[in-house]
Amino acid sequence: MIENFIAGSSALFGDPFTLAIFFFGVIGGMLFGAIPGVSMLTLAAILLPFTSDLSPAQGVMLFAVIYCTGTYGGAITAILFNIPGAPENAPTAFDGYPMTKQGKSGKAVGAAVLCSAIGGVASALVMMAATQPLATWAIRNIGPPEIFALVFFGLAVASSVGGRTIWKGWLSVLLGLLIATIGQDPVGGINRFNFGFADLAAGIAFVPAILGFFAVSEIFVQAEKRATGTFNAPKVGMSFPTLFELWAQKIAVLRSILVGFFCGILPGIGATLAAFMGYGEAVRWSKDKESFGKGNIEGVISSETANNAATGAAMIPLLALGLPGGALTAMMVAVFQMHDLEPGPLVFYNSPDLIWVVFAAMFYANLSILFVGILETKTILYLLKIPFQFLAPLILLLASIGAYIGRGLVLDVMVMFLAGIIGFLLRRSGYSIPGIVLGIILGKIGEQNFAQGMQMVHYDIVAYLSRPICSLLILAGVLTLGVGVYQALRAPAKKA
Amino acid sequence: MGKLTKSHMIETAVWLLIAVIFFGFTFEFNQPIEIYIFGATGWPRVVIGLMLIVTFGNFYHHLKYGSTTQAGRVGIADDDEVGSYDNLAAVIKVLAVLGTPFLFALSLKPVGFYFATPFFIALIIVIFGERRWKWILCITALIYGLLLGLFMVVLNAPLPQGNTSPFYDYSALILRLNNDLQQLW
Repeated sequence: MIENFIAGSSALFGDPFTLAIFFFGVIGGMLFGAIPGVSMLTLAAILLPFTSDLSPAQGVMLFAVIYCTGTYGGAITAILFNIPGAPENAPTAFDGYPMTKQGKSGKAVGAAVLCSAIGGVASALVMMAATQPLATWAIRNIGPPEIFALVFFGLAVASSVGGRTIWKGWLSVLLGLLIATIGQDPVGGINRFNFGFADLAAGIAFVPAILGFFAVSEIFVQAEKRATGTFNAPKVGMSFPTLFELWAQKIAVLRSILVGFFCGILPGIGATLAAFMGYGEAVRWSKDKESFGKGNIEGVISSETANNAATGAAMIPLLALGLPGGALTAMMVAVFQMHDLEPGPLVFYNSPDLIWVVFAAMFYANLSILFVGILETKTILYLLKIPFQFLAPLILLLASIGAYIGRGLVLDVMVMFLAGIIGFLLRRSGYSIPGIVLGIILGKIGEQNFAQGMQMVHYDIVAYLSRPICSLLILAGVLTLGVGVYQALRAPAKKA
Repeated sequence: MGKLTKSHMIETAVWLLIAVIFFGFTFEFNQPIEIYIFGATGWPRVVIGLMLIVTFGNFYHHLKYGSTTQAGRVGIADDDEVGSYDNLAAVIKVLAVLGTPFLFALSLKPVGFYFATPFFIALIIVIFGERRWKWILCITALIYGLLLGLFMVVLNAPLPQGNTSPFYDYSALILRLNNDLQQLW
């Protein structure tokens, strides 16, 4: 492994053009992740056509680096503006934004920088050491029933955070699942809920929906607060977390690395569910559950460690099985295909140089989060000083461009603004926007894997539940759901 | 009626309406799939059924506890800290913020991004309360320049050009200038 890593590093640092692409990916991912309204997906969508001019190793490496640094970059906007740069940063906003309002933005961003780097580096190391054995284990033990069970567990966790009651949490998730059913059904390709719009046959693209629910609804909320006189400008806090504060969270970091890595290696799951589950587990094991959502640094640490831990792990199903774990890894498949390559087990034998350049680049990209991220943080915190009336049109326009670029449809811009209005109304009534977004992202994956799983076991529910990992995850989901409903029916409510 | 308010009833009615409308539309694609016994309607109908059950749970919570937060919930936004809407200007301002982006989106097809954007920027700045016209002009020009620089000059991203004259001609002019600029290096 060491020799391969050194060979990958030499290929990366030995060629100035490859190195330039690496730095472009590092800076571009962080920048696009940290600009409110656009995300790493916007950058990746724009760059995709240009990768045909690069070598396969350079193209895949560029997207892998953007994936690592963009996942971290999205935390910045989640913390400073309550606008997650990507869905995987949504749980970061639960505690990151309250910290900003308390003048602790520096501490929150500092924790995000350090924990993203730790999670990412740990994940990259495990990825390098264990891609092949883990892929073999995953092939043997993880099938559609297990993936559906994990989606169910993840949705149960998502419903238990964010909404004002368990009912609102579940309604948010179910709305997301219903939105995900728009477009062709994943088994028979039959058009569903297109309401007479031909463009809806391809479904609701999740980038415009996410931008609408997160970025546009936040602008509307801020506008309302200004109009009704309840706007409190966030304070700029430049103090970073102390080493003692970070050391106190070592268990949370370790737990989130494990959660993130487990979610990441499962095909189709990716970093978003990892972040939610990392956050959910932090709440579950905490002695001070009530402090979550009010500015607990452990919330930021758990979410950011888990989502970056999932980035390296997400490369395992992609490279070993050819199965992408999310939108950006799906674009990497497109990069492979542009160069007449297919990701899968053979790529390790046919193109080992490509694999190790990508592995080395991901390792260094996660390390660079620490150094470039700290430098970036010192400047980006000043974004809070820009008057919101000047920032708002910029965010709305960047979001419009981000929504339009994916498919080149004006309809997507309209969907984004509609999602913004729906998100604005739902947020005011105590619903969970991250829950809706997770429902949209996991809806199709859940349905597809449920259908495949049912076909696999010939619709025998006992055979379905006799698979140990599957039954464990379903049980965990049912328990999470049961505890939530019990609390809703029995526990006394507190004032809003 | 317990602690129910008018807004709780509207909220429940909206969820029921969503469930009924979507359930009604499932009959449009209620076709069997040979390889899958639950067909294309199975999953959406389960989601709609669950939505109905949860809507009743939500209604029960409102009936018993009103708008109070369930104990033990985490990660709840403080978006319900809304001030008074007694003032008509506040209502108009919020409606303008909600409506202007839609107008912008609607204008993208006929007018195009390049022409509509500066007006949109200036309008949003004004709606958000800025009245110093020099600042409005300067910030509008700055944001417009930044967006064109990044997405048109650096990234060559395809943006809507509009399909009616003279807006389309304006977009063509901007793109030609960009092309000339690219030729310089």
